[in-house]
Amino acid sequence: MSLIEIKNLKYRYPGAERLSLNDITMNIEKGQFIGIVGENGAGKSTLSQAFLGLIPQFYKGAYGGSVTIDGLSAKTTPVGVLCRKVGLVFQNPFNQLSGAKDTVYDEVGYGLQNLGIPAEEIHKRVESVLRRFGIWEYRKRNPFDLSGGQLQRVAIASVLAMNPEILILDEPTSQLDPAGSEEVFQAVDELTATGITIVMIEHKLEKLAEYCDKIALMHQGEVVAFDTPNMIFSRKDISELGVNVPAYTAFALKYGLRNQDGTYPATRRDLLKIIKADNADIRSLLKSCRNDLPDAQRNNPVKAIVGSETFSLSDLHFSYIEGAEIFKGINIGFDRRPTAIIGQNGAGKTTLVRIMKGLLKPGSGSVKLAGEDISKKTVAELASRVGYVFQNPDDQIFKYNVLDEVMFGPLNIGMSHEEAESHAHEALQTVGLEELCRKNPYDLELYDRKMVAIASVLAMDTDVIILDEPTIAQDYKGREKIKEIIRNESGKGKLVIAILHDMDFVADSFERVIAMAHGEILLDGTPHEVFRNREVLEKAALAPPHIVGLMEELEHEID
Amino acid sequence: MGKLFKTNFSTAVIVLIPACIGINYIGKLFAQLLKLPLWLDCIGTCIGAILGGPIIGGICGAANNLIYGFTTGDNITLVYALTSLFIGISVGIMARLGFMESFPKAMLTACVGGLAAVVVSTPLNIMYWGGQTGNVWGDAVFAATQAAGLPVWIGSLLDELVVDVPDKLITGIIVYLIVSKLPQKLTTLYDANAVIESLD
Amino acid sequence: MKSISLYTDNGSWIVRLHPFSKLFYLIAAILIPLISGHLWMFAVTVLASISFLMSSHMLRKAVPLIAFSFTIILTIFIIQGIFFKDNTSVLLTLGPLSFYKEGLLYSSRIGLNILNMLLSFSILVLTTSPSELVEELEKKGFSPKFGYIINSVFQIVPEMMGTMHTISDAQRSRGMETEGKLVTRMKAFIPLISPVVMSALTSSRERAIALEVRGFGANVKKTYLYSHPYTKQDQMMKWGSLTSLAAVIVLRVLHVL
Repeated sequence: MSLIEIKNLKYRYPGAERLSLNDITMNIEKGQFIGIVGENGAGKSTLSQAFLGLIPQFYKGAYGGSVTIDGLSAKTTPVGVLCRKVGLVFQNPFNQLSGAKDTVYDEVGYGLQNLGIPAEEIHKRVESVLRRFGIWEYRKRNPFDLSGGQLQRVAIASVLAMNPEILILDEPTSQLDPAGSEEVFQAVDELTATGITIVMIEHKLEKLAEYCDKIALMHQGEVVAFDTPNMIFSRKDISELGVNVPAYTAFALKYGLRNQDGTYPATRRDLLKIIKADNADIRSLLKSCRNDLPDAQRNNPVKAIVGSETFSLSDLHFSYIEGAEIFKGINIGFDRRPTAIIGQNGAGKTTLVRIMKGLLKPGSGSVKLAGEDISKKTVAELASRVGYVFQNPDDQIFKYNVLDEVMFGPLNIGMSHEEAESHAHEALQTVGLEELCRKNPYDLELYDRKMVAIASVLAMDTDVIILDEPTIAQDYKGREKIKEIIRNESGKGKLVIAILHDMDFVADSFERVIAMAHGEILLDGTPHEVFRNREVLEKAALAPPHIVGLMEELEHEID
Repeated sequence: MGKLFKTNFSTAVIVLIPACIGINYIGKLFAQLLKLPLWLDCIGTCIGAILGGPIIGGICGAANNLIYGFTTGDNITLVYALTSLFIGISVGIMARLGFMESFPKAMLTACVGGLAAVVVSTPLNIMYWGGQTGNVWGDAVFAATQAAGLPVWIGSLLDELVVDVPDKLITGIIVYLIVSKLPQKLTTLYDANAVIESLD
Repeated sequence: MKSISLYTDNGSWIVRLHPFSKLFYLIAAILIPLISGHLWMFAVTVLASISFLMSSHMLRKAVPLIAFSFTIILTIFIIQGIFFKDNTSVLLTLGPLSFYKEGLLYSSRIGLNILNMLLSFSILVLTTSPSELVEELEKKGFSPKFGYIINSVFQIVPEMMGTMHTISDAQRSRGMETEGKLVTRMKAFIPLISPVVMSALTSSRERAIALEVRGFGANVKKTYLYSHPYTKQDQMMKWGSLTSLAAVIVLRVLHVL
């Protein structure tokens, strides 16, 4: 008998018309590492919550078929019992806190208290799990004060303290910065060694391919295939199913580097093995590789009016708390090239763009937009000139149909009703939501709500558009859409600035990259210049795009 | 009767309560921030009552005041837990009776909530504050009634009426606008009658 | 994170007392003057509370908690001093206004009661960690689910206040005015509060899942990580409060007071 047996599983959310899970049958053996991939809306999270009985016990709705966990039916066994066997960690670090405990130590012990485990045993387990994930030093801190990466480790620790046999990880790094993701992946590395059964949903395919024994490929509520990473990512129809392939597979595909069984390699290790075994001409590979190193300037030249200055910041000083200066004299100018700002959380990226938007007032120094000092202007006064899309669309959506939501900004800045409506339709067209314009935004999923938020700023037709982490929650298709939006808007002569954590995306779509750390600008150049500069990347604690990492390894091979 | 008060005490509902208390608090803060002449401090209680029923509404209201006593250090807030309790219960009952289905009906619910507040608060005001509310306009009405020689309870009732009813009416409009558009995926979680359908 | 609880641990003896000892004092301090029926008894309990606050270096923190009531107490003095229904004997006259003895006495009773309640309550609130109070109550049989509600409010509200600023920034970024005429300000309320409600509901759904995963719904008797010993000082505070209360009741019944 397998540890997890799923038979003809069907599920529909209350009030929904279509099945979210449609006749899924699969078995998972003890100790396996299983990945789930698929486009947004394919049913990945729903499936993961069916393992714990949250589907259907928590959500209600309509359910058919069966999920059996180590002999227990997930449909009828209370979640309070199943949670001893299956642990779950999901995307949002903050919402996973119990909210009842004011120290990390107590937070991790909370689940054990609920299970009625004796205090001495709890103390023992909490200490061991905190030490194991390197969070022992934070044990007395309030969990709400931790960074996202630290919090996700607390979440993993809290669940593992309960000694589950199965751990479900539902995109645990999707809302983290690169350093935070790295912390979580290190925790996962640590786990793979213990033999615990893991099911992981993850958009960072390079990582997933490395870990997984098998991957389930989902599409529209069905499991289309359940096979090894190499087999899954070598499928011809994979992009039609809305799934990207790991950067290494894409590379192998391009240069025809195959495994012996005819599949393409999914991990860097396998790829390098083939390159070496084939005695492939590394030099010529590198040469062609350098030629198509993602460099937006070369790949997708945007006819931007270089040199026409928009923002100019000089000797900018800023502090949230007096005496603790974040910016100690920043000087930078912006033209109209699409610009990405990269760096870890706390580097000052968001603070910088908020000053440009007028949401924060600089301590001293000047902020000029098209030659005019804007540091004294109110946010509302700047609204028609600088657009800012916040990270979380739920911080702004309040209307009951998409079109009204998108028209809110244009109407506020004095457009007539007709004008606002036509701008709104145009913006919705751009983000691909035109056919949903009469829908209630709350009925849409997060990735679509993010697009609504982007449209609501695009519709204001501002000269400058600032995007704060636009790719979070987006799948392959969504990211391609955002690339297109950036290119379109730049093409119209607008300045697009984006804060991003996804280096592959940055390398693909921006002409200028600003790397920040500790309130300073480390380097300001083309993606090529920034990503090939090891010293700067290390200082900013960033990893280069996968392909750059691969090139470096090949170069090293030649030396 | 039993059906009217039927309550689901699932985890989702328990967690809803602190969220509603938070909404009360933020509503009050936004009203202050915008310098509105209103309190708007029971939006969350009403939402809790509508989603979870009268018992949950009552708990949201009472817990709200009990907990805030701890954040302001004033135990007089604690006493008014009784008022909030009854606002929650009455709004919950009205919602279960279908009085949140259209705008005019929702206004009626708001009036009932406002009246519940007045009826419960007035004796408390008399007991603790000699009949006043601490609101300038309300207290001016109170002073006028006392000058005219009317009984304390009439003065106090009018004082409270002037203060509470407009506030609750506006609260009702806001709550209606928000609740009527909540997605079903969210509201089913709190529904005491939700069942799992079979697809087999 | 900014806490909304007023509790601070300054290491003083009252902070170290068991939460229940402070509860006993609170009850006694509020009831004693009310039962005795004498105005001077308020002075006794008020002075007791003040001296406790002073000895634990908390008096300065208690002042703002009480100050808010001063204006309303003042208006009570004015309104009742002039209009109180049993007013007969004029105490002083200021221009056209006459203040009566009965009204002023009545106001002093209200004022002192409020002052007494606020002071004795501030001892509990300033020196007791809410989560500790809840935990001790749970051990005595208080429902852990209700305990959760109380604890989580203290954690969630500061979190929501953070969201509140982001929401206000997001809407102002889209050109919404938050200042100006009353109508403008009224109009701004919905765009501000709606996202708060929605994000509160969606995050509460996720938090409910997180709790389920952590055995919140398990039907097992919960265990506790810490125990708070009952010290000699606790005994003194508890029995001191209870015997004083009993004494006042007895004296009152015997018509000595």
